Amino acid sequence: MVTIEGLKKSFGEVTAIGDMSFNVANHEFLSIVGPSGCGKSTALRVIAGLTEPTAGKVLVRGAEVRGPIKDVGMVFQAPVLLPWRSVLTNVLFPIEMRGERRSKYQAKALELIKLAGLEGFENHAPYQLSGGMQQRVAICRALVSSPQLLLMDEPFGALDIMTRERMGFELQKIWSVGRQTVIFVTHSITEAVLLSDTIVVMSGRPGTIKKIVKVDLPRPRLASMMKDPRFVELAADVRDQIDAQWVE
Amino acid sequence: MINALKHLRPFLGFVVLLVVWQVGVRLANFPEYILPAPTVILARLWATRNEQLYHLFVATGFTTVVGLALALVVGVLMALAVVYIKPLKAMIMPLLAAFNSIPKIAVAPLLVIWFGLGAETKIVLAFLLSVFPIFVNSITGLGEIEADVLDLSRLSGGTPWRIFLKVRLINAVPYITDALRIAFPLALVGSIVGEFIAGNVGAGYLVLSGQFNLDTPLVFAALLCITLFATLGITLIGLLENHFVTWKHSTRRR
Ligand SMILES: Nc1ncnc2c1ncn2[C@@H]1O[C@H](COP(=O)(O)OP(=O)(O)OP(=O)(O)O)[C@@H](O)[C@H]1O
Ligand SMILES: [Mg+2]
Repeated sequence: MVTIEGLKKSFGEVTAIGDMSFNVANHEFLSIVGPSGCGKSTALRVIAGLTEPTAGKVLVRGAEVRGPIKDVGMVFQAPVLLPWRSVLTNVLFPIEMRGERRSKYQAKALELIKLAGLEGFENHAPYQLSGGMQQRVAICRALVSSPQLLLMDEPFGALDIMTRERMGFELQKIWSVGRQTVIFVTHSITEAVLLSDTIVVMSGRPGTIKKIVKVDLPRPRLASMMKDPRFVELAADVRDQIDAQWVE
Repeated sequence: MINALKHLRPFLGFVVLLVVWQVGVRLANFPEYILPAPTVILARLWATRNEQLYHLFVATGFTTVVGLALALVVGVLMALAVVYIKPLKAMIMPLLAAFNSIPKIAVAPLLVIWFGLGAETKIVLAFLLSVFPIFVNSITGLGEIEADVLDLSRLSGGTPWRIFLKVRLINAVPYITDALRIAFPLALVGSIVGEFIAGNVGAGYLVLSGQFNLDTPLVFAALLCITLFATLGITLIGLLENHFVTWKHSTRRR
């Protein structure tokens, strides 16, 4: 689905991404973890075609990315809702941008809103929602057009731990049905191990890949698995990669 | 009932002022041509009511609203040009800033030469005074969209036209209503100054003729009409804003 080859990205003097290459297979759930400022958000933006790479290239569905890609759902670090729109019309925003009729996707949107636990809030304005609820709206919005590729930039970053865990399981449920290809940026190692097939561990700026960890735990992953020795082992492996950087 | 009282509260200050004024003038025994009592002003207002309404609505109100409408159209169009044609901004902004620092009222005699003694001069003055705040606020409203919102729109396949209609334009509405609240009184000033210097119609003209005849109650009566008109305009803008813009105040409340 996505191939990244020798990706490098500098902003003037600052090299955000030093060198990055990896593949994301169809239906794969891939997480990127790494210290703050190592270029995770930048990498997502390059994959989405929102920023040009300084060197290297990105292929999505076999075609080199030049300009914003299509059939993608993106969740940003912040909810980015339009304040004048209700929950429902915010979720339907991408449909309007595509120039399609809202009514055609209304049922789908309502279903997603229900799934996200926002039933009854369809007509509320964003300011009437908590931060976590807003972020859930953003996730519904990314899913409304049933894209086969999802780019998620710390979608649960602003949530409290309890909600965050629940949302993680919800995402797993959505993914197990929709089988989207997901590139998921997170700070939480547990979250990465719980959700992913593959974890890309990055070094500090300039970001390079430290290690690619394959998560061979069976699915569906349950909360009880977090105590599983294999789970602990994988989490420790990822953690070691990150911790080692502090020592270096 | 309590709600009704709450709505009356803003008027309470006026009542107090009027009472103090009335009593003060009587006690100090001011001559009428210096400071007439409110009752005298009201009597003069009533006596000249048809004249007042005529001058206010046929002349001043008309030129103010037309000038403001022109400023709205031109201001928003100029902002669009600046927002969509980036190089234009660097070119046009210093020019406009320099232009805006000219005291427009000082240009009024020139406008009389160009546009004559009629309504045109007043419309142009009203326009000149009110266009800048509308232009500046429109630039912010149309131009300063959160980068992520634009990225999201582009990723969803949004064309520039759709992004304009569904993001930029709506984002600009509260900025424009804010600007109108500032621009409306400015346009009114433009009209009145125009009436001071040329022609023989309008609330400004009434003020001036009151001054010529030492008819101070008429001056005050005309001023009162102008103030009521300004209040009416600003209230209308506020009502429009409340109707169309529910979100900005909502976010402010948080
Ligand atoms: N538009 C930009 N202009 C200049 N520098 C930028 C820009 N975007 C990102 N950077 C720089 O690139 C580096 C990587 O930024 P990025 O946002 O990708 O980090 P991140 O890994 O997502 O961090 P975090 O985990 O804190 O979100 C940072 O040093 C940042 O300062
Ligand atoms: Mg980031």
